[in-house]
Amino acid sequence: MRAEAVRAGPAAAIERRPASRTSTLYLFAVPATLLFVVFIAYPILWVAGQSLYVRSGSGASSFAGFANYVTVLGDPTFWIVVRNMLLWGVITIPVQMLIGGVLAYFIERHTHALRGFFRTMFFLPVVTSVSVISLVWVQIYAPYYGIAQEYLKHVGFVMMTSPIGDPKMAIYALIIVNIWQWTGFSMLMYIAGIANLPSEVLDAARVDGARGWRLAVHVIVPMLAPATKSLLLLGVIGTLQTFPIVHLMTGGGPNRASEVFGTFIFKQSFVLGDTGSGAALSVIVLVVALALSLLQIVTLGARLTPAGKERP
Amino acid sequence: MRKMLFLATTILTAALAAGSAWADEKEVTVWSWFIQSTMDKSIAAFEKAHPDIKVKYTYYNYSPEYITALKAAAASGSLPDVIGLQPGSLTQQYRDNLEAVNERAEKEWGAGWAEKIFPVNRKQMQMGNPKGDKNYYIVPQESQVLCIWYNRKIFEKLNIAAPETYEELKAAAKALTDGGYIPMFQGAADGWQNENVFLMLANQFSPGIVDKAQAGETPWTAPELVEAMKAWKGLFDDGIFQQGALGAHAYPTGAQLFAQGKVGMMALGSWWMQESKFPPPLSEYVQNMEGFDFFYMPPVKQGNTASPPVGGIDIGYGLTKNGGRNPAAWTFLAELTNGVGLQEALNDLNDLPAFDGHSPKGDITDHVKEMSARFMTDLPKAENQRFASPAVAEALDNALAGVAAGSTEPEAALATVQAATEKALAAQ
Repeated sequence: MRAEAVRAGPAAAIERRPASRTSTLYLFAVPATLLFVVFIAYPILWVAGQSLYVRSGSGASSFAGFANYVTVLGDPTFWIVVRNMLLWGVITIPVQMLIGGVLAYFIERHTHALRGFFRTMFFLPVVTSVSVISLVWVQIYAPYYGIAQEYLKHVGFVMMTSPIGDPKMAIYALIIVNIWQWTGFSMLMYIAGIANLPSEVLDAARVDGARGWRLAVHVIVPMLAPATKSLLLLGVIGTLQTFPIVHLMTGGGPNRASEVFGTFIFKQSFVLGDTGSGAALSVIVLVVALALSLLQIVTLGARLTPAGKERP
Repeated sequence: MRKMLFLATTILTAALAAGSAWADEKEVTVWSWFIQSTMDKSIAAFEKAHPDIKVKYTYYNYSPEYITALKAAAASGSLPDVIGLQPGSLTQQYRDNLEAVNERAEKEWGAGWAEKIFPVNRKQMQMGNPKGDKNYYIVPQESQVLCIWYNRKIFEKLNIAAPETYEELKAAAKALTDGGYIPMFQGAADGWQNENVFLMLANQFSPGIVDKAQAGETPWTAPELVEAMKAWKGLFDDGIFQQGALGAHAYPTGAQLFAQGKVGMMALGSWWMQESKFPPPLSEYVQNMEGFDFFYMPPVKQGNTASPPVGGIDIGYGLTKNGGRNPAAWTFLAELTNGVGLQEALNDLNDLPAFDGHSPKGDITDHVKEMSARFMTDLPKAENQRFASPAVAEALDNALAGVAAGSTEPEAALATVQAATEKALAAQ
């Protein structure tokens, strides 16, 4: 019997498991399933349900079908948000990956005694409180009395306005802060990837004459593809989740110029008390996040583990 | 065995005694954004007067923590007994979760209790109520009057007097800028500070016009409001506000610079006096408010008078449905708004009282007493600073930012506020 099971492989062994053992195995999945249902599935369904209701001035809720979705899609602010989110994703994700990758490469390949120091320094903004970061950057951007101005005045440059106070510049000013904060995370992901590169492949590439730029671009970068895919996936999700830095620095202003999904949903739901519109916006963001994640998995594959560590 | 029995009896008796003492002590839960150190003093005074009641206070930052915590607690029916509120939109959002306080207040303070509250506060207490609803869902604790604070030591140093005309204001701003100071710090990234200055300007052109506009009795595009919007833009263009004001925050940046003596003027309110009660070290300007005094916005156009006082409720409290089932909760609310709790807040110079007949006591200088008295003289005639609909306030914030940035014309900006007002009134 045992010999047969071994010969037939694991699939056959599972088929022959007694029913009671199978039930026991399912029981192990119950806690995780319960947590998922209570803390993820139910809230999502509740929000989806709320998106179909409108609240009148007297406080009574009534079923409104897709009216909230129509209202939200017809609001010009929604399209400002979409534009800002696109800019955010298109600029921050590649720039963070590029700078993070370059930093990781140089730290891992060209620093020895100070490797730990550089890793820590570049990672520091990631673990710093967003409140502190926003306070510091508001001061950096401030004209006349700001930190940047203190240095710029030595080269005769006077900042006339704050970039976060200019409707045309505000979103870019926030994107710079976001890149500054999160580049350390990209660096760390790439450091993990580089540390896991199989040395025999690198040695073989060197024997074949690959050095410096060629080695980096044609050997190391392709082998870091899993880390890049992970960063892309996390970057898209992170973009859609953007909230604290914008809320604290501009509040989505001036005149909604730097509004993102997070601040827009917050204002609709908590400041204006329009829970229906806020819920409709949340559902739209959820659908967009799901669609983009699926698209990435389909087009780029789901292998997100570091190179050389894939399970057999 | 006998020892064991004795031990068990002792433990049981002790547990019962402790349980009975615990059951005798009533607890009141309170949430607010009100400054913790002052609230602690109010609670200590209350608990001294009512030793059988224990107050459990939870402090939140106003946004986003407090308003999200309220929303979540309201949805799950777990609001505390007493919640901090602002009149108008915030109170209205939670009206269904609040007890009307009319009967309790009448029983506590007598039939004419509402008359003891300053008129602007009384008006704000029912702001946004459905037509015919004469209930009060908020009890105000403190009032405020908006004004322009100035650093009188810097003014003396530069030989500037408190401005009485717009030309004098411009000249003062220029002298301050030339002297290396920030002229008037405006945290224009904060909607509330922009609203406050606009209210000063609008009420100067026509007292009460913003109230009429938000009630739909006057269009937002009325000439007086357009003029006020142009005057608002002028404050940026004429160098009265600092460069880059649109990216600046009043708190903490502006307030810190002002307290440190790097700013000449700032549009704040009567609450600024509390700076002098903060823990040391304090700057020479903040110490006993020695460096500060206030004036109202000078007439920005010939024929206008200086801005009238604008203000109203700084903070109030509501009794939740949960609090309605806990008699101790009303006892605390009453003391906090018009009793020993209020007195502690006033002694801390947190702001002005909402009920008439109170004044700060304790270690307060003559200069502070004099300023406090001037505010108290102005409070009864103050114009309303609050909005009934958050959507209207939000639209005005965006309009003010758009005009200040030069991306919108005053008329077009005010038309968007008008549209928001019509929508809000239709929803009511």
